[in-house]
Amino acid sequence: MFELTAILKQPKQKSRIGAAKGRDSMASARLVPLSFLLLLVGCASRPLYPLPGKRYDGSKKPLQTFRPYNLAHRGSNGEFPEETAAAYMRAIEEGADFIEGDVLASKDGVLIMQHDVTLDDTTDIAEHKEFANRKRACNVQGTNTTGFFHFDFTLEELKSLGVKQRYPFRDQQYNRKFPIITFEEFISIALDAPRVVGIYPEIKNPAMVNQYVKWPGGKKFEDKFVETLHKYGYRGEYMSKQWLKQPAFIQSFAPTSLIYVSNLTDLPKVFLIDDITIPTQDTNQSYWEITSDKYLNFIKNYVMGIGPWKDTIVYVSENYLQLPTDLVARAHALNLQVHPYTYRNENQFLHFNFSQDPYKEYDYWINTIGVDGLFTDFTGSLHQYQEWTTPSPSGEKSATKLLDKIGSMISKYRNPQT
Amino acid sequence: MTSVRTVSSILLLLLVECAARPFYPLPSRRNDRSKQPLQTFRPYNIAHRGSCGEFPEETASAYKRAIEEDADFIETDILASKDGILICFHDLTLDATTDIAQHKKFESRKRTYEVQGKNITGYFTIDFTLEELKSLRVNQRSPFRDQQYNGKFSIIIFEDFISIALGAPRVVGIYPEIKNPVFINQHVKWPIGKKFEDKFVDTLKKYGYKGTYLSKQWLKQPAFIQSFAPTSLIYISHLTDLPKILLIDDATTPTQDTNQSYWEITSNSYFDFIKDYVVGIGPWKDSIVPASNNYLQTPTDLVTRSHAYNLQVHPFIFQNDNMSLHFNFSQDPYNEYEYWIKKIGVDGLFTDFTGSLHHYQEWTNPFSMGEESASKLLDKIAYMISKFRNSYN
Repeated sequence: MFELTAILKQPKQKSRIGAAKGRDSMASARLVPLSFLLLLVGCASRPLYPLPGKRYDGSKKPLQTFRPYNLAHRGSNGEFPEETAAAYMRAIEEGADFIEGDVLASKDGVLIMQHDVTLDDTTDIAEHKEFANRKRACNVQGTNTTGFFHFDFTLEELKSLGVKQRYPFRDQQYNRKFPIITFEEFISIALDAPRVVGIYPEIKNPAMVNQYVKWPGGKKFEDKFVETLHKYGYRGEYMSKQWLKQPAFIQSFAPTSLIYVSNLTDLPKVFLIDDITIPTQDTNQSYWEITSDKYLNFIKNYVMGIGPWKDTIVYVSENYLQLPTDLVARAHALNLQVHPYTYRNENQFLHFNFSQDPYKEYDYWINTIGVDGLFTDFTGSLHQYQEWTTPSPSGEKSATKLLDKIGSMISKYRNPQT
Repeated sequence: MTSVRTVSSILLLLLVECAARPFYPLPSRRNDRSKQPLQTFRPYNIAHRGSCGEFPEETASAYKRAIEEDADFIETDILASKDGILICFHDLTLDATTDIAQHKKFESRKRTYEVQGKNITGYFTIDFTLEELKSLRVNQRSPFRDQQYNGKFSIIIFEDFISIALGAPRVVGIYPEIKNPVFINQHVKWPIGKKFEDKFVDTLKKYGYKGTYLSKQWLKQPAFIQSFAPTSLIYISHLTDLPKILLIDDATTPTQDTNQSYWEITSNSYFDFIKDYVVGIGPWKDSIVPASNNYLQTPTDLVTRSHAYNLQVHPFIFQNDNMSLHFNFSQDPYNEYEYWIKKIGVDGLFTDFTGSLHHYQEWTNPFSMGEESASKLLDKIAYMISKFRNSYN
C-alpha cells in the first residue's frame, strides 16, 4: 500500500515534464506487477463479511442425543443411488443424525466415497469402452474377485462415471445422473447442512488400499483419512463440546487401523463386526474371538462401540428371529455402544416376525433389544418412527403445538362417543 | 300306562331342558355390555381378508389376528358351495389359495366356465359340497409372504366369520361382500326360489345385524355390505337397512350385472342415483390417483365428487410389500397411509396389514377414551411438558 502511494507521489513531487516522463515509465513498470500482486491478494483473501446464506450459523439445531442415532447408511440409498451427493442431501432432509459412507482411494490417492472395491455393481463402468481393458482379478479378503477396481482409476476417470442404484427393485430413475464424490465433498455436505449433522466415515478395506495405493512421505491410507478430518476441524472425544459441534464416528472392520488412528485423533471410533464366518481382514481373528469378553475388554480402550451385523445379534431361522444372543448385554456391560447394520424396508429383508412392517423392526431393535444407533437405508422411515414414538422437543416452536395436542387429547377424552 | 306317559313326559322335559338356553350368562361373556365400542373419529381400519399379510386369507386365524391387531372391521368375500352354504372365499376357483391340486379324488371336477365374459378353467367352489370344501386346506396366496401356515387351516363359512366378530372382546364390525352374484345365482339354487342375496341377508338377520349407519343398533354390531353389482345392492336395500358400499373395479372393467362402464358409474348423475342405496363407494386406489412409471400422478376428482354426494370412500388395497408401493412412498407403507388419509382424505382403508395401519393411526391420531386412560393421559401430558421445560435449559 505504502509503496504504491510513494511511487504515485514521486512523479508529482519532482519536476514535471521531461524527467517526469522517464520516471513515469519506470514507475509504471513497477506499478503494474505490484497492483497485479495486490489484486491477486485481494481476490484470494477471505471476505470479511459472512456469506448471506450462512449468517445464522451460531444457532444451528444441535445433534439429538436422547434417543438412538439415525445413521443414514450410504445416504438415503433406498431412494437414491448410494453414496452420491443426492443420497446424502436427501438423508439430511429426512432427518438423519449422521450420514454414513465408505472411504476408499483412487489411483492418484484421492479419498473417495465408494462401498465396493469394484465399480461393477454401482456404476456404469461397463458402458465406458475406453476402460474395458482395466478389468482385472484380485484377491479380496481371500476371494478371487474379477472386476474394475477403484485403485486402477484416477479421480478424473472416476468422475466420468455415473452411479446407479444397486438394487433393481428400487427406483432406477436416477441411474447415471450422479458422479462418485470425494471424502471432502461428503464432509462439505455435512457441514453445509442447516442443522448439526454428524459424519460416520469408514476406513474401508485398508489392507487392500494400502497395498495398491501409495502416498508421498510414506503416508498410509489411515493417515490421509485422519488428515482430511483434521483439515475440516473434526476433533474431540465423544460428547465433548467440540465433538457436538461437528460430530463424527470413525468406523472400520480392521482393528489395527482403529488402534493406529487412535494415536492420531481422539474422535470416537466404532469397531465393525462382520458375519460369524468372516475373520478380520487384518488380524485374521474369528468372530468368536473378537466378540469375546476378553477381546471387548481390550478393544474398549480404543473404541466406544461396536457395529455388528444384526443377524448375529439375534439369529434367524426360516426367516423368523430366534432368541437374542447376549452380545448387546455384554457390550453394554463394558460401556460399548451397539450400532447394528442394516435396516431395510423391503419385505425380502424383513423377517416374518415383523409382518413386512419396517416400523415393527425398528420397534423391536430399539425397545426390545435396546441398541444405541441403527444403520438404515431408509432414513425417512426411521426418523418418522422415532418422531412418532419418541418425539424430539424443540423449545418454543412446539409450545403452541404442545397445547394443541393436549387440547385434542382432552377433548377426545371428554367426548368419547358423541 | 301312567309310567309310559310319565317316562315320555320326563324324556320330553329332559329334551326341552337340554335344548333350552341356560339362564345364566356364560362366564366368559359376563361383561358383554362394557365392550369397547367401535371408533368412529378416524378412517376405518378394514382388515382385507383378515390379516392376510401374515396368515392365509379368509381363515379363522387371519380374522382373529386382525382383531388382535385392532381392526375396526374384518372383511370377507361370500361365495357359495354346491349345496348352497355361504362360505368365505375370494376366488371363484380353488386353485390359487388351496391345496386342491393335491386331492387326487377331485381331479375330475376341473371345469371351464364363463365368468364376466372370460373363459376360466379350474376347480370352482360351486362344484363342491361344504363337506368336500372343508377337506381342503388354505394356502398363503403370495409366495413372498409367510408360508409356514400352508396346509393348516380350512375354509370357513359365513356364520363362522360372524361368530368370530361377535366373539371379540371389543366391538368389531363385519364387512362381507356379495361376491360374483350373477355367477352364483346362475349355478347354485336354493329352495323356495331364494336367491344368493336373500340367503346373504338372512344370515345377517339371524345374528341380529340391522340398523342404518351410526344408529344405536348398528353401533352394537356394525356391518357394511359391499358388492361390485349394483342390482344386488339395490335388491337387498328392500331387505335390510344396513349400510351398503358400491365397489368399483378399475377403468377397464364394466359392472358384471348391468354392463356399465367405469366412467358411467363414477359420473355425477350415477352418484346422484346410487346414493339413495349406498353410503359409500369402494374404488381401486389406482383409479383415484393414477400411477405412471410407478409414481403417483395428480389425483382425480373422484373423492371430492363422492364426498360432495355424502358418499364415503373406502379404497382397496393397501399392502406393505414393496412391490405394491409406488416410489413416492420410499418403500414405506406408513408414507402411503399418510398420503391417503391426510392428503386424499379417504374414510376407510382396505389393508392386508391391519397392524401397520393401526400403528400409523395410533401414532398420529391416537384413540384414548374413558377413565382407563385418564391417568395415562396425565402421564403423557406431564412427559410432554417436562421435555418442553428441559429444552429451555
